[in-house]
Formats: sequence, C-alpha cells, structure tokens
Amino acid sequence: MTTQPTYPEPIERAIASIESWLHGLGENNLLSQYSRSPRSLALLLLQKDPALWQTLANNPRQQQEVEILLTVAQNQLQYPLDLAIAETRQKQARALEEIAIQKSQTTANATTEVLHRLTVNPITGIPILMAILYFGIYKFVGEFGAGELVDRIEGFFEGQINPVVNQIAAQLFPWQPLQDLIGNDYGIITLGIRYATAIVLPVVATYFLMFSVLEDSGYLPRMSLMLDRLFKSIGLSGRAVIPMVLGLGCDTMATMVTRTLETRRERLIATFLLSLAVPCAAQWGVILGLLAQKPAALMVWGGLIVGIFLIAGYLSAKLFPGTSGAFYLEIPPLRLPKLRNILTKTWVRMKWYFGEILPLFIWASVFIWLGRLTGLFDVIIRGIEPLATAIGMPKATAPVFLYGFFRRDYGAAGLFDIQQQGGLTGNQLVIAAIVLTLFLPCIAQLQIMIKERGLKTTTFMVAFIFPFAFLVGYCVNLVFNILRVSF
Amino acid sequence: MNCHQCQQNCHSVKQKRSWWKRLTNKYRPEPVLAVDGTIALVGTPNVGKSVLFNRLTGIYVTVSNYPGTTVEVSRGIAKIQDYRVRVIDTPGMYSLVPISEEEQVARDLLLQESLDVAIHVVDAKNLGRMLPLTFQLIEAGLPVILAVNMMDEAEQLGLKVRSEALQTELDIPVVLMSAALNRGIRELKQTIIQYLSSPSNQPLINLEVAT
Repeated sequence: MTTQPTYPEPIERAIASIESWLHGLGENNLLSQYSRSPRSLALLLLQKDPALWQTLANNPRQQQEVEILLTVAQNQLQYPLDLAIAETRQKQARALEEIAIQKSQTTANATTEVLHRLTVNPITGIPILMAILYFGIYKFVGEFGAGELVDRIEGFFEGQINPVVNQIAAQLFPWQPLQDLIGNDYGIITLGIRYATAIVLPVVATYFLMFSVLEDSGYLPRMSLMLDRLFKSIGLSGRAVIPMVLGLGCDTMATMVTRTLETRRERLIATFLLSLAVPCAAQWGVILGLLAQKPAALMVWGGLIVGIFLIAGYLSAKLFPGTSGAFYLEIPPLRLPKLRNILTKTWVRMKWYFGEILPLFIWASVFIWLGRLTGLFDVIIRGIEPLATAIGMPKATAPVFLYGFFRRDYGAAGLFDIQQQGGLTGNQLVIAAIVLTLFLPCIAQLQIMIKERGLKTTTFMVAFIFPFAFLVGYCVNLVFNILRVSF
Repeated sequence: MNCHQCQQNCHSVKQKRSWWKRLTNKYRPEPVLAVDGTIALVGTPNVGKSVLFNRLTGIYVTVSNYPGTTVEVSRGIAKIQDYRVRVIDTPGMYSLVPISEEEQVARDLLLQESLDVAIHVVDAKNLGRMLPLTFQLIEAGLPVILAVNMMDEAEQLGLKVRSEALQTELDIPVVLMSAALNRGIRELKQTIIQYLSSPSNQPLINLEVAT
C-alpha cells in the first residue's frame, strides 16, 4: 500500500485515537455493524457520516467522546475535516493518475466535441431537440407506428381474427353472455387482446426503439443539461431533469429514479410532476396517433401540457420552499449506438411491457363483462356521462374514461377505436388527449408512488390530479366554444 | 426508463411473480442458493457496472448511457470455472459517505454484507476522478479488484494505462477491460478465482488495530 493516502497530521492523530477508542469499547461498539475496518469507521465519523452519527446518538456518552476527538482535530486545521480528507484523497489520486496514465499526442475527437456543444447550447440545442421530436417521435412513432402499423394490425384483427373468434364463440357457447366474454364488442380477444396487440404494441415498440437509440447515443444527458436552465428558471433543481426525461419513456421507472434526488422536497415535486404532466411512452404514442392528422391540434395539446408542467412546477416549488441540491451530472461521451444493444433493450422492454399490460387488459375485459352482466357497468357509465358531456365529449366516450382508470393507454386505445369509426371531432380529440395525459398513467405507477412516497402523500396527489384533469378539460372546452375554435 | 428493473431481480432468479402479486407488491424472499463466494460491482454512475453484470451472469439488466439508471440492487449467479459466484450490481456511488438514498443502499451493502471481492469498476478516461473511491474501499478493509473499464474509448483518446504501475502502487489486482466489447472479461474472471481459491479467503489487508 505504497500510495494509500496519508492524511494531514491532525487527522491521522484523530484517526489513531478514534481507532483505539473503538478498540477500547469492545462489546459496546455500536458501530461494529458498519465496517470491519476501524480506520474506515474513524474516517466516516470524521466526515460526519449521517447514518453513523445517528447510531451513535443512541449512546450520548460515546457521542460526546467522539465529538471531543473531532473538535480537537478540527481546531488544528484550517479547513473543515471532510474537505481536508477529500482533498488528500484527490491529491493522491491525481498523483497516481500521473504515474499510471500515459498520454500520447492528444487526438481529441473534434467531431464529437462539436456535436456536444451543438446539443448542449440552447440556441442550437432546441432546434436539434425539435428535429428529434419531429422526425423521431412525430414521423416515426406517430405516423409510422401509430398510423401505418396500427392500421395494418387493426385491419388484420378486424378482418381476419374478430369474425372468426365471434363465429367460433357463437358455435361453442349457446349462451350469449359467454360469447360476449370471448368475442363481440367487449370480449377478451376482440377487445382486450386487440387493444394490447393492435393499438398499444406497435406504438410502444416504435417509441421504445426510438428512446433506446437516444439513450445509448448519450443524447439524453445533454438534453437534461440543456433543460436544466429552463428548470432553474421555474425554481426547480436541475437534477430533477433526470427523472423527468426518463419519464418520457416510463413514468413508473422515473418515479423510482426520483430516489437519486437529494432532498425530500425535490422527490415530492418530481413525483407530482411525473404523475401529472409527463406523458409516458404509451400515452405519447397513442396521443400522437390520435392527433397526427391535425398538426394544429397536436400543437395545442403540446403547448397546454408544457404550460401546465411549467406552472405546476413553479407553484409547487413555491409551495414547498427549500433549497434544492446542486446539479451534478456525469456527461457520458456521445457514442454511435450499437444495433444489437438497441434491439436487445427494446426487446426486453417490450417483453416487460407486454407482460405487464396484457393481463391487465384481459382483466379489464373481464371486469367490463361482469359489469355489463350485472348492470353495474351501465350505472357507472351513466355516472360518468355527465362528466363526459361537461367537457364536451360524446356519451360514447364515457366507457373510455372508465378504461382510463385502469391505464391511460387503455383509455387512449379506446379513443383511438372511436376515432377510427369517425365518432369524434377535432376539439373532442384534443380535450380527451389532454384529460388522459393529466390522469395517472397506470396502476403500476400508483403502486410505486405509494411505495416511494407513502400512502398519505399519494392520496393527496391523486385527490388533486383526478378533479384537476377534468377541470382542465372543462376549461379547454369552454375556451374552444367561446373562441369558436375547431380543429 | 427501464420500468422492468423493479421486477428484474425476480425474473432473473427464476421466480415469476403473478401480476397480482406484483400489484400488491408482495416480494417473495430470494431463494437461498449455495454459492462459493460473493462479489459486488461498485463504482460511480455510468462506468459500465451493469454491462459487466450482464457479462458475468448472463442476466440482462437494462444498460443505459445515462447516469443513475440503476437504482436497485440486482443479484445474479455467475459460473466461473467450477465456482458458483453470487454477483451483486450496486447503484452508482461517488464516495462511501452517501448523499442520496440509493448511495446509502450501495454503501450499507458494501460494508455490511460479507463480500469476498469488491470489484471497483472505473472509467479509464477519468481514472483520477475515480481513484478516491478505490482508496476508501481499501481503507474499509475490502478485498478490492480494480477493473479499469472503457479501455477502447481511452485508447481512442490516446490514453495508455500502465496497469503494472497501478497494481504496485495500490497493491491490489488491476484488470484492463472493455466490458461492452467483451475484452478483459476472462482476465477478470481469473482474478476473481484467485481471490476465491486463496487458502485464507480473507481480506488481504491487515485489520488489526494499530496501537
């Protein structure tokens, strides 16, 4: 261990005395569970490690003794202890790097450097982001995935599978309700599996593919860095950008990633914004598919969601005052993504996603079937209908909102279905898209929210989000009517 | 982004939870498997710990060119020669003193589980920034292997790493590798075996209290 760091004299003395103090404690050493190395324990204590000090607080006498040792060391130093320790290590590390790294002529890669600057600078970065959104999301996911692919698979289902299923069901089961369970309008195969494979699957597949490319290329951290300034301007920490950007892929995972945020306040705000105004892959896709033919409607939807995001962010940052941690993000190099990695990643995500939604969609079909059989479905639908009409939707969309409670993508798929039959006007599409975006995306996210933030906080958030979503829908409808806008 | 990670561990250890169990969030305990040793992958975010985990265990954990994607600890089994080795992938950490929740998880795991080897994965391009953690791991009395990863990218930048020098200075085994390109995996496995098969199978650092 020739180059293990040797700390400044006062610190080394403090380490030695803490070591022998720990040794003297013997059985009474509360900290022995933390590390087998007394030197390491001593250093952690000197750096004021929170967990260790908390343990020590169980024994005020021991705590006092360590505090005395610490104060003695601190008094002999000009810098705070933890800084002095970190400084020693860094100096040692740099010295070691000098020995270990041989630098031949600097062949700094000029192209990646230029690319990096272009993506991070807002002046060029925002157009780049727009271009990615346009080609990658709008063209590829929206038009190709949600348009072309969905049409093909839907056509195949409607033309080839559904009639066959209905026929077989009709022949197998003499009883109408049993036929309805498998086939017809709300059957497990004709509705549940059709929604999952024909509408959601192609959309999510194209989106995940796109997202994987962005992820592996190293673009996402640069996007976060660029958006950092925007976030700071509304009073949020830049670090919160990370889960937000991940949320564009999957809000559930992003809610888990909020753990990387330093303060409770930041985690709270990030969780709230994720569940309110960050659309996940499934929502993006289906909504793009719904609105792709009407670019103006898409702009209104996008503008409103961004607006709500900014306002909600600003207000919640004001509502929960406090400091936000400094933004420190490791910027990985830009890499040319490897096709195999991207395909594996997309495949794994697809598999996970499909495994997650398929049972839910099937269960939803079963619940709806049960509800219709008992008449409960009609009661609930009739309850929702006034809400639907209040925000300007036709009565036929009431079931869609019921699905929306199961999963937002399920509801969106339902809308898709109605739209393809020509049952919705442009205005109604925009309003439905907005309301569904503001809803919580899925049960999985709710579950993670409860796990990460606790039941009470989650209940408060949900109690706000649901009425808020409808209220916004109502207001938008009102504004559309007053201004006589129609898409 | 990778939502499936929350379930990843369970799929990997061949225990599929039904969707209902997943909803109600009842985790089944991990099955107890006889292993010959336990190793942990440690390092700052985005140095390739998850890629290495994939390479060692054959289990796919989503890898991302985005720091902080691993927030949960993944466990898997690697078969190295005749050894069954438990491999633990940890969330990224900058220092042994944690600043966020997932760093706390990684730290507690490192210090409290009985590890046979801690593999400190570092980015060859930023060696100097990463070595302070190596020092801390050694100070903690852990048997450390330094895995200098992303050698391909370092070489593109014209950097050469003198592994013998690092090895003598730090007094721990050093392996140069590019996990994503499958380079250096065999060497790393051999080094792990050397640790596991050494007669004492004890940390090499003297833990006696200096008086």
